[in-house]
Amino acid sequence: MTSVPSESKGKESRGHFSELLKVEGKLALREPTGLVMGIGVPTILLVVFGLIGIANPGNVANTGYTVLDLYVPVIMVIGFIFLGIALLPNTMVRYREIGWLRRVSVTPAPPSRLLAAQLIVNLVLALATILIAIFGSEIIFGTPLDVAIPYFVLSVVLSIAVIFSLGLVVAALVPSQSVVSGLGGGLTFLLLFLAGLWVQPAQVGGPLATIMYYSPSGAAARALLSSVFNATPPLETLVTMVAYTIFFTVVAIRYFRWE
Amino acid sequence: MDDSPADSGQIITVQHLIKRYGEFIAVNDVSFSIREKEIFGIIGPNGAGKTTMVECISGLRTADSGSISICGLSPNKDRNKIREFLGVQLQESSMPPRLKVGEAVDLFASFYPKPVDPDGLLETLGIRDVKNSMYKKLSGGQKQRLSIALALVGNPKIAVLDELTTGLDPEARRETWALIESIRGRGVTVILVTHFMDEAERLCDRLALINHGKLAVLDTPEAIAALAGGNRMRFVPSQLVDDKTLYAISGVVGVERKERYVTVTGTGDLAASVIDSLARIGVHVSDIEARGGNLDDAFVKLTRDASGASGGVQP
Repeated sequence: MTSVPSESKGKESRGHFSELLKVEGKLALREPTGLVMGIGVPTILLVVFGLIGIANPGNVANTGYTVLDLYVPVIMVIGFIFLGIALLPNTMVRYREIGWLRRVSVTPAPPSRLLAAQLIVNLVLALATILIAIFGSEIIFGTPLDVAIPYFVLSVVLSIAVIFSLGLVVAALVPSQSVVSGLGGGLTFLLLFLAGLWVQPAQVGGPLATIMYYSPSGAAARALLSSVFNATPPLETLVTMVAYTIFFTVVAIRYFRWE
Repeated sequence: MDDSPADSGQIITVQHLIKRYGEFIAVNDVSFSIREKEIFGIIGPNGAGKTTMVECISGLRTADSGSISICGLSPNKDRNKIREFLGVQLQESSMPPRLKVGEAVDLFASFYPKPVDPDGLLETLGIRDVKNSMYKKLSGGQKQRLSIALALVGNPKIAVLDELTTGLDPEARRETWALIESIRGRGVTVILVTHFMDEAERLCDRLALINHGKLAVLDTPEAIAALAGGNRMRFVPSQLVDDKTLYAISGVVGVERKERYVTVTGTGDLAASVIDSLARIGVHVSDIEARGGNLDDAFVKLTRDASGASGGVQP
């Protein structure tokens, strides 16, 4: 080390956030899980439901929608669930467990920036999911989507907000990585079910359909379904998502630990 | 205690620091000052409260009572200011497995207002050749050096290094020691937490021995070592010498015999004064084995003396 070690970069705090984002982005590319969940899973589901749709033409349970129509929003929500519930808490809990959050917290950079960078990386992957679902279904399978942009944007924002905030609750409450895998896995399946992956609420009807409609992932799928077919999302779906988001965010902030 | 008229100022002052975890008192009324540009060692048995102390200094924990002043700032109130010039190497802190060495150092450099040149730092630490390696591929020594690099890249005035050489092989330890001396050479004040006596003896200007959350002693390593009985010399006299004669020699405080060997303990230039005095009465000595006071002995003695029945408990 030389006697004049300071070589100021002349950058203020904005410098470290872009640097963090760059590093988190690179790590996401090196860790293939995120790509599989954000891009691989929606692609596979799109193909699966596209083929099912071809084999079973006509509308489902008098909804006026074909199988693939119904699953376009579900595929998006599934992508958000994998990213927000399985991946995001896993990364944050691992960072906490290995002491990385703590290590960053003794520097002038607040560790919340690390969380913000993680969220942005996952949002980019969520965007990839959306593009795959929309363009894949339209271009490859010819689904006649008619996206109502303002409603669609609103539905997407709320869907991601509700699912990611639930993911942060998991990251806040779960003490270790082994627990997060188990709990995150269970929660992922529950949310996938509620979103209508195995059976659509329109097909089951009754109280179960109501539960699905008022669940975080079910409300998200329902709002997205309306907005990709140029309809106004039912108000209760938007209210449901806002309410859950507020609740999850409050809980996550209250219980999140950096170490 | 060692309070010579300071030629360099006090950079950290800790007064009546108390930290509890529930019922357990991890740090119990500890006060000391650290001078600028010294290597200040904190030693003590496991669970003595060493790490808790440096965590309070680093602002990772809030003391229950007492005060800490770092360059006149408080680790809690002026957290952000202090972080700009306090580099910390944490015990048992790891990094994302796929993060590369160069990326980690560049990232941390971006956190600080006036970082050092990351490449130069990696060069000094001898890990520039693994700049493009992922963290998970590094050896224990390389990980440790990277950890030191992250503590130093912000060009700190003070570096806190906790259990720096634990888990390193002897050669890596030696290299790390040389590195710490070079850090001090740059004008950095170093706080070194360790449970290796050889490390403390070799590196530290002053040592605080912590036991059961209390400051047992604070002094130079030599002075602390002397507390164990000071210097020690074993020899075979050419003829029998009685205890009275030996105790009369200046500096001698203890005499032990085993077969034909005599062992004297004491202070000062023990070997020279014993040999001289015996030569004057016509006694020659052979098979001489002399060693200085041993910090290990002092450590055992001091921690045993101070302890009640309870052993060290990790918080």
